[in-house]
Amino acid sequence: MENGALSEELIQTDVLCIGGGIAGLMAAIRAGELGAKVVVAEKGNTLHSGRGRAGNDHFWCYIPEVHGADMELFLKDCLKGPKLKLMQAGTSMSVLRTFLEKSFDIVKLWDSWGIPMKYQGRWEFAGHSFHGDVLTHLKYEGLKQKTVLTERAMEKKVEIMNRVMIFDLLRNKDGVIGAIGIHTREDKIIVLQAKAVILGTGFVDRLYPPSVPGWLASVAGSLTLTGDGRAMTYRAGAELVGPEIPRRHVGPRYFARYGQATWVGVLRDTHGKPIGPYVTKPDKRYGDMTPEVKGVLLEDYMKSGKGPAYMDCRGISDEDYEYMMHWLVHEGNSSLIDHMKEEGIDLRKNPVEFGTYQMVPEGKIWINEKAETSIKGLYAAGDESMGGIGPSASYGWIAGESAATYAKEAPAPKIEKTRAEIEERKNLVGEMRTRKQGPDWKEANIALQQIMQDYAGPVRSEVLLEAGLSYVQRLKKKVATTMVAQNQWELTRCLETLNLLDLGELVFIAANERKETRGLHNRPDYPLTDPMLEGKGLFVKQVRGEPVLEWRKIA
Amino acid sequence: MPPIIDPTKCTGCGVCVDVCSEDVFFGSKKGKVPVVTYPEFCVHFNCCAYECPEEGAIKVRIPLPLQLLYKGGDR
Repeated sequence: MENGALSEELIQTDVLCIGGGIAGLMAAIRAGELGAKVVVAEKGNTLHSGRGRAGNDHFWCYIPEVHGADMELFLKDCLKGPKLKLMQAGTSMSVLRTFLEKSFDIVKLWDSWGIPMKYQGRWEFAGHSFHGDVLTHLKYEGLKQKTVLTERAMEKKVEIMNRVMIFDLLRNKDGVIGAIGIHTREDKIIVLQAKAVILGTGFVDRLYPPSVPGWLASVAGSLTLTGDGRAMTYRAGAELVGPEIPRRHVGPRYFARYGQATWVGVLRDTHGKPIGPYVTKPDKRYGDMTPEVKGVLLEDYMKSGKGPAYMDCRGISDEDYEYMMHWLVHEGNSSLIDHMKEEGIDLRKNPVEFGTYQMVPEGKIWINEKAETSIKGLYAAGDESMGGIGPSASYGWIAGESAATYAKEAPAPKIEKTRAEIEERKNLVGEMRTRKQGPDWKEANIALQQIMQDYAGPVRSEVLLEAGLSYVQRLKKKVATTMVAQNQWELTRCLETLNLLDLGELVFIAANERKETRGLHNRPDYPLTDPMLEGKGLFVKQVRGEPVLEWRKIA
Repeated sequence: MPPIIDPTKCTGCGVCVDVCSEDVFFGSKKGKVPVVTYPEFCVHFNCCAYECPEEGAIKVRIPLPLQLLYKGGDR
């Protein structure tokens, strides 16, 4: 690249979907179907991107013929489960209801498109539920889901732009009118003019240090999920809720893989004693719920010297073993299975050690039942507004519908009026590409991860959080003027890291404001869980460059 | 370091380069055996091996620190 000059390409569309995961593709398909011109900008390849990139096997949904006619009762039962309760803490009840009402239609749609949603001719529910409780998650064969959704989007004339990372929204005083990004391979800036924008960029998986020290790619979740949507939404002035709430999954220690509920076994200590009270032998219908009640227990076992905990499938019937292996493939764990074969690990004989994974902050984009954010023309769906596969698919669809309807009436955006903002961002990336010396993205990312872990990690207090905040802010300033990208791949990582720095700062600010201990938000200086904060969310938005916090009831 | 490509089986079709969302093959040229430019960014989901049309041409090796820990007799 000469003189830091990236060429600029302008693309005009009605609806822009940022992120081509399950939510983004579902939004694109629906908007395309309703006649909108749709572009999906995906920084990887939609065939294998996002948390659903290699498959999934459980889909939260409400099927009246299975769950009974009373949806309210079903919803109440669902939220009794600790996983759904925590995951949906930043979601309004009207959004949850709208999702559940829609979910069975989406299940049937997927089935008709070639994503098998039935198992042996029936709706098969298992996992994520306590013994005797309502079963919430449909088992489905998601191995090829991303291929099916990508093909469906193309049938609807959606333009899929792989290898394009959007990193900022463009807006006027009324609302969003487009976005700016880079090509991740070619020396190019992409400016997209859009009447409506749908965010579907997923979780924030790379903010805290992963299982294997110094090995960034060992993160649980997806390595390139860096909260791009939340970060750009925040910078554009929309509301996020709950960035201080941490979540931690469990799964095979070091070989980090989600899908703990797919395992048919019992979590046992090294002497063979079950560590939780829920199951004493492998049960394919109700797996071991212990990690969903307290995932950090596994880490506590190690720290206290009780030793490792194992997922122990010994005693499983042949039929149930086949069942588990079948679903592990669909959950996207074929590499894990290959590895076990190669090592001679047989789950019928060998218990596999499980561990607690890194923290993932919630911090969702606040949406209403139409998937609208607090900025006009801006919608969000998927893990960044409402976690999980069922919600991503259903709310993607709803967001696509809302955005296409809005785009029909919206005036043609005048993107050239944002020329100053475009130039400012071109300079930012141009400088990173032309600097000769300085830290690369990895240095910056690791520096950030260690501050997050040590100052806003398992233990948080006012003094820790204040110190950590000042360190992150100093790091951010330093990185902004020194970070170096040798090529577009590194530039992509740099922009991701800048997003992580913004989101890390928000974690500190919001965690300090939550003056209580709740779940994994552990404040020794405020050890009680404050009943006054029950049912409330901490909303944060940027006003004139400063974060503004507000507690509001989530109804 | 993962992934490992067998140059005797690889036809240089570029499918793996195309589908890898982490783009570990960044800079690879179509028609040639892909170069693993960023091996440490591989997340071992097998997407490249899954999409590869040539049986056994690409294999994802699990690095030592990520390998499973388990109980029971060694082979």
